[in-house]
Amino acid sequence: MPLGFLVPLFLAGLAAIAIPIWIHLTRKQRSLVIEFPSLMFLRQIPFKEDRRRTIHHWLLLALRALVILLLVAAFARPFFQGNAALAVSGTGPREIVVLLDRSYSMATTGRWDAAITAARQAISGLGPLDKVSLLVFDQGAESVVRSENDPGRLRAAIDTLQPGWGSTRFGPGLKLAQTILEESALPVRELVMVSDFQRRGWTGEEGVRLPAGTRVRTMPVSGGGANVAVADVVLRRDRFSGRERVAPSARLVRTGGDAEAEVAVVLEVEGREIQRRTATLPASGAATVDFSPVPVAERHTRGTVRVAGDVLSRDDARHFVVSPGSAQRVRVYTRPGAAGEASLFLSHALSISDESRFAVEVRPLGAGATDGLATGQVAVLTDVPFPLGTTGSQLRRFVEGGGGLLVVAGQSSAWGDDVDSWMGVRIAEPVDRLDGGGGRIGWVDYDHPIFQLFKGPRSGDFTSPRFFRYRALVPLDGAGVLARFDDGSPALIERRIGQGRVLVWASTLDSFWNDLAVQPIFLPFVHQMTRYASGRGETLPWFTAGQVLDVSDVRAMATAGLLQGTEEGLDLEGERVVIDPTGASVRLPGGAGPHYLVLEDAGFYTMRPPGTDQDRPLAVAVNVDLAESDPATMDGEEVAAALSATVAEGDGTGGTGGAVDLQRTDIERRQSLWRLLLVAVLALLAAETVMANKRSTAVATS
Amino acid sequence: MTQRRAPARTDTPGARFLDPKVLARIDNLDLLARTVVDSFLHGLHSSPYLGLSMEFAEHRAYMPGDDIRKIDWRLYARTDRHYVKQYEAETNANFTIALDVSRSMAYGSGGITKLDYARFLAASLAYFSIRQRDRVGLYAFDTEVVEHVRPSVRHLDQVLHALERVVPGRPGALGPPLFTVASTFRRKGIVAVISDFYESPDAVIDALKPLIGSKHDVIVFHVLDPAELEFPFDKPASFEDLETGERFPVVPEKLREGYRQMMREHVAEVQRRVLGQGAEYTLLDSSQPLDMALFRYLLARQKTRGSRGAA
Repeated sequence: MPLGFLVPLFLAGLAAIAIPIWIHLTRKQRSLVIEFPSLMFLRQIPFKEDRRRTIHHWLLLALRALVILLLVAAFARPFFQGNAALAVSGTGPREIVVLLDRSYSMATTGRWDAAITAARQAISGLGPLDKVSLLVFDQGAESVVRSENDPGRLRAAIDTLQPGWGSTRFGPGLKLAQTILEESALPVRELVMVSDFQRRGWTGEEGVRLPAGTRVRTMPVSGGGANVAVADVVLRRDRFSGRERVAPSARLVRTGGDAEAEVAVVLEVEGREIQRRTATLPASGAATVDFSPVPVAERHTRGTVRVAGDVLSRDDARHFVVSPGSAQRVRVYTRPGAAGEASLFLSHALSISDESRFAVEVRPLGAGATDGLATGQVAVLTDVPFPLGTTGSQLRRFVEGGGGLLVVAGQSSAWGDDVDSWMGVRIAEPVDRLDGGGGRIGWVDYDHPIFQLFKGPRSGDFTSPRFFRYRALVPLDGAGVLARFDDGSPALIERRIGQGRVLVWASTLDSFWNDLAVQPIFLPFVHQMTRYASGRGETLPWFTAGQVLDVSDVRAMATAGLLQGTEEGLDLEGERVVIDPTGASVRLPGGAGPHYLVLEDAGFYTMRPPGTDQDRPLAVAVNVDLAESDPATMDGEEVAAALSATVAEGDGTGGTGGAVDLQRTDIERRQSLWRLLLVAVLALLAAETVMANKRSTAVATS
Repeated sequence: MTQRRAPARTDTPGARFLDPKVLARIDNLDLLARTVVDSFLHGLHSSPYLGLSMEFAEHRAYMPGDDIRKIDWRLYARTDRHYVKQYEAETNANFTIALDVSRSMAYGSGGITKLDYARFLAASLAYFSIRQRDRVGLYAFDTEVVEHVRPSVRHLDQVLHALERVVPGRPGALGPPLFTVASTFRRKGIVAVISDFYESPDAVIDALKPLIGSKHDVIVFHVLDPAELEFPFDKPASFEDLETGERFPVVPEKLREGYRQMMREHVAEVQRRVLGQGAEYTLLDSSQPLDMALFRYLLARQKTRGSRGAA
């Protein structure tokens, strides 16, 4: 087995062996001095050269030379090259990483069985020193078995695997495989990928760089046929006879097939079939199925649109959760005795909504007007002074507790200094812009959530409205200006107070001071301001498999449709148990969050936190990522070629350059012969010291 | 009077008292000298008065006024004439010791250093000379004369004290101090030069020439340590020159034969050149007894008396 050196430059230090030789040849016998009457005869005898070339202590010289030799060798980092040679030749112990795709598309009939067979085939014929790591991946990656050599354990691990509900992303799995391969000291590295290689899983920006010499082998699996997926469900709300209804509309997508096919579509509510439809789907076509409105009387009503089973059952259902009364409650305050026009445009604008998003209530601002305001509601002060006394205090507590306040400044708007500092806005005298056709909005923060809707082209023109009068606003500390008039005056100011938000609009929302109310942007603008003031996000009827939910976060729960801000006595900090779609329970610890619930499986996750209706558990619907149903796949060789391109330079097939150097480094690090050499050096130095001392003692004695 | 020469052997009776290592245990240099000389003389089986200077010179006819106690009555009986015995007046010779006390003399691989050995030798010679009624003087030198005791029959104690006092300290050189010694003599005598002679033979002869040229009887005692002669070292070491401090890395096994050869050649050349100048030369191994040195002295003393008688 030939010996190699990682840093052969240090071998130049072997020249230092000449030092002890030179010393042994030339050193003087300083230790023994003999006084002699006269050197007159000795000086005349020609002997010097011969004497100096005489080495008397061969053993000592050999020891010292050996010390230098070993020291130099240690610094040169020696190693036996046998393994490196094996690496170059592609033989020797292997580190095999089997990367198995468990995305839900692998549940297509025939694919999973083929994948299991391929994985078993990948681990067959293992050598005694080979090691196999088994990884599974979908949009994430997980190590099932790490560097195992026992084929029995490996086969048992493979047999326990099942396809999941996630979608395909090659990046995480390849990253994990890269880590394992990099950490391996075995000379041969192989990556075996078993997947249906869906094209959408490969972005080309995985950032994977496999270790030098890694051999990539792909084992594509395929199977199945035409597949019908419930791609989407639209839930249209309306009210009929004072009752809220939801009319689901399902969009079906068919992939494959060569002729039209009729598909039975079922709407299930709370697990019971409510309606059944038949859809006719052309080959590789789509269709929409509308269901009759369904009353939503109870909260967390679970619904599912399902088609008949086909080759891929996991995309055959679309789950959703709906709750009644989920409309945003808005209370608009007006001056007592004022004309209704002040709030007319606003209340009508909020009432116009396909899904009854806002429930508007108009009240004159007087004593007791703020009673009943709860977290999640929005209060709108339209051209009224900020209330004093108990009403004002209630309003402040409402905002600080999480409520939203929209102040629409008008002629009557006013508040004192204490409200200035609390609200962060000081209101000044009205500004008249009657000359030149009125003022206009000059600047808008389109990155703010209120205006993001209008950021795109032809999404709303804020320069159209003309403002003839508005109140001059002065933002104080903590307040931010979201829009300005063309003279620089703030048009919209925001400030967060406690858990709530305050928005101050500098002009009216009627037709007296401006013509905003008759502009197309009026309605979406008012909706956006109200929704933002509430602090409530869009309620999601379902999540996608793989997402997480912080069950200790009120807003996250509200976004999930689990809470509406009106639940009293709800304990979100206690220990809770979640039942997942398979019926298994997931225990989440109590205390301060965050406590994440990983939504891995499609279906309904239910929980019954204390303080909720035990007969109507909180429910979260989880659906698969429909993109996984995309049948487009990549060629396995294409993936292998793409991965081979990421292998570090000088891979094993080349057998030269960086790959070999990397192997040499690895092998040297594993062998660490330099440590042994240093130990030997220490032992030799000890022996040399003993010998030299003995010799010195003998000389001194003589 | 005939002198009987005893063999210079270490097994000579009394030789154990002449062993330098034994002598080194005697702190008193006077006692040491007596021990050496008495032991040496005892070993010779000769009269303790051997060599006394009160010797018969000639007869002459008695003349009125002569001391009648000096009439040789035996000769009168044979010749019937009065003759008076006439003894040579005993003025005796000057015996001067020139002792090298340079740093190199401090070397000693055995129990004593070369300087100790030379000190014993000088003390013994001085004592011996006093026994011979000679005047004894001392010059100790390295690069110059560091101790000087004027020759006198009463200066034995001073000589011995000076010998005890000298210490090796500086590098040595033969020429200048020996020239100084030669220039201070006013009458001929015996000069014993004791040194390790770490100079070239030419330099040694040049240094001795002023003494030899002044008609002195020069006795050269070349004192060397056994290690200087044999170079018995076996381990590589730095050899340091005692006089210059110079260090020199040496692998003895590679140099031993060459060193011995050079040392032998050096000793032989010095001896040849010294003898060629009419001086006495004695190589002394500092591990050997002192009797050889004493014999050499006696030979020189005899030679001096002979030459004086001839004169």
